[in-house]
Amino acid sequence: MKHVIIGASAAGISAAKTIRKQRTDDEIVIISKDDTVYSRCMLHKYISGERSVQDLSFVPEGFFKNSRIRHLAGVNATGIDTAKKVVFFDGGQELYDKLLIATGAESVYPPIDGLKGAENVRALRDLSDAKIIREKALAADNIVIIGAGLVGLDAAYALVEMGKKPIIVDLAEAILPANLDVRAAAAYKTEFEKAGCVFRLGVRVIGVIRDQNGLVTSVTLDGKEALPCGLLIVAAGVRPAIGFLENSGIACTDSVTVNEYLETSVPDVYAAGDVAGLSRNWPNAVKQGEIAAMNMCGVSTVYDDTFALKNTVNFFGILSLSFGEFVPADGDIEYCRESRGRYEKVILRNGVPVGVIRQGDISYSGFWQYLIKNKINIADIPISVWKLSFADSFGMAENGEYEWTVRA
Amino acid sequence: MKRIFIDADKCIGCKNCLVACMQAHKPGTVSVFGLDFIDPALESRNKILLDSRGKCIPLFCRHCDKPGCATACMSGAMVKEPETGYVRYDSDRCAQCFMCVMNCPYGVLKPDRETGTYVVKCDFCADHNSEPSCVKMCPVKAIYVEEV
Repeated sequence: MKHVIIGASAAGISAAKTIRKQRTDDEIVIISKDDTVYSRCMLHKYISGERSVQDLSFVPEGFFKNSRIRHLAGVNATGIDTAKKVVFFDGGQELYDKLLIATGAESVYPPIDGLKGAENVRALRDLSDAKIIREKALAADNIVIIGAGLVGLDAAYALVEMGKKPIIVDLAEAILPANLDVRAAAAYKTEFEKAGCVFRLGVRVIGVIRDQNGLVTSVTLDGKEALPCGLLIVAAGVRPAIGFLENSGIACTDSVTVNEYLETSVPDVYAAGDVAGLSRNWPNAVKQGEIAAMNMCGVSTVYDDTFALKNTVNFFGILSLSFGEFVPADGDIEYCRESRGRYEKVILRNGVPVGVIRQGDISYSGFWQYLIKNKINIADIPISVWKLSFADSFGMAENGEYEWTVRA
Repeated sequence: MKRIFIDADKCIGCKNCLVACMQAHKPGTVSVFGLDFIDPALESRNKILLDSRGKCIPLFCRHCDKPGCATACMSGAMVKEPETGYVRYDSDRCAQCFMCVMNCPYGVLKPDRETGTYVVKCDFCADHNSEPSCVKMCPVKAIYVEEV
């Protein structure tokens, strides 16, 4: 049996590992546009100079050789013929018995005239982006970042560490809206400002001005303010990387459509990670890679651990963690407490936790994810939400693993 | 692989296991008297929880068969070792995202208290050539090692 995997990030690599564990002798080929394996979540550490390319890897040295995986690196998949079971890529093609699409996502550029194509405008998604951003940032004085989400602030944090003071523009009024509530996010805003960053929030970028060499020299905001700009970093979101599937017959919406086995509309073709549109975080992509791989190996496995509303944030030594929703709905009960450097919030809906934020001290808080995703009613546990733990749910299986005894 | 089993009914909450863990991970200390208990860097990798009835529940890393912490790790620092079954943590590789803390379903993990730069994680005292220090020090056999 021959397995071909397109993509060498979280989902693709975890699928390859899983297939190798299941099938000692099956052939595994990974096709990736990336030259090397690296963790996207660490790219800002490359920009700042904290880590080398080698230190961005999340696989052990010699991984491909030791796992007997053929890695076709630095090539773009261009199409799939599902009838002949062939993947096409720059300069070649590869037959498959089972195929996994794990191409992830790609940056979205906001529809602003003159943004695309300028040499000093760059989104931050791939290592190739990070390399160019680092190189240009070293020489740039005025750096503007579009987007105050996690990627935009990752970039800002790296720049701060390089001694730069970027301006961060976002249409939203609050930073990190997908990660934290306004109160928790404000703690980071304060620290970024202390470090010299400037925020322009609730503001739209309406245009850019380019010089005769095509370089962006200024960014125009909708208040007519013009920000001088030597480097523009775009962190305005991503979309699943499905462009190459256009004529493949594999059903897509904004992402590749998959069933609960992560199989696409075409037999023997699977999808996992950001490209499948089910989640946008690392742990879920890894899990999906595993599940798809099990099915590719003929071990029927359902992807049912779908909860994806989970985040951590770590800037300036302030750690935060969040699960679920941040804003209580009508009828919810919200618990909050604050002390020096700490902030905690729990939202209960009819006794069931639907959202948790912890900032400052995130110790021992993983159990909340289980309660939230399994909709476990905690109203009958006679203990304060601040003292709640796995203790009241404690059980042990025969093999010594923990088991939850409190159920939904 | 080996796993630390828990008999919560026997636990009396003496916290000997915590002290043993602190000592085992503080190089150069030969007895409990060598530990400075007000040093914030002195932390235990295990914990004794109290449930709503006040019952002691020892919370020890399971080195799970399918570890949520390792699934969440984006740097390759948290790895399930196929040979030993232990989930090993390499602080040099760690990128301090703490998604492992987020993804442990039992809430076992935590960032270190003093610097917030590494994960406080049970290593099964694997380099001590004996059973885990916590297990050795438990006076009531509420924790014990079994092959699974």
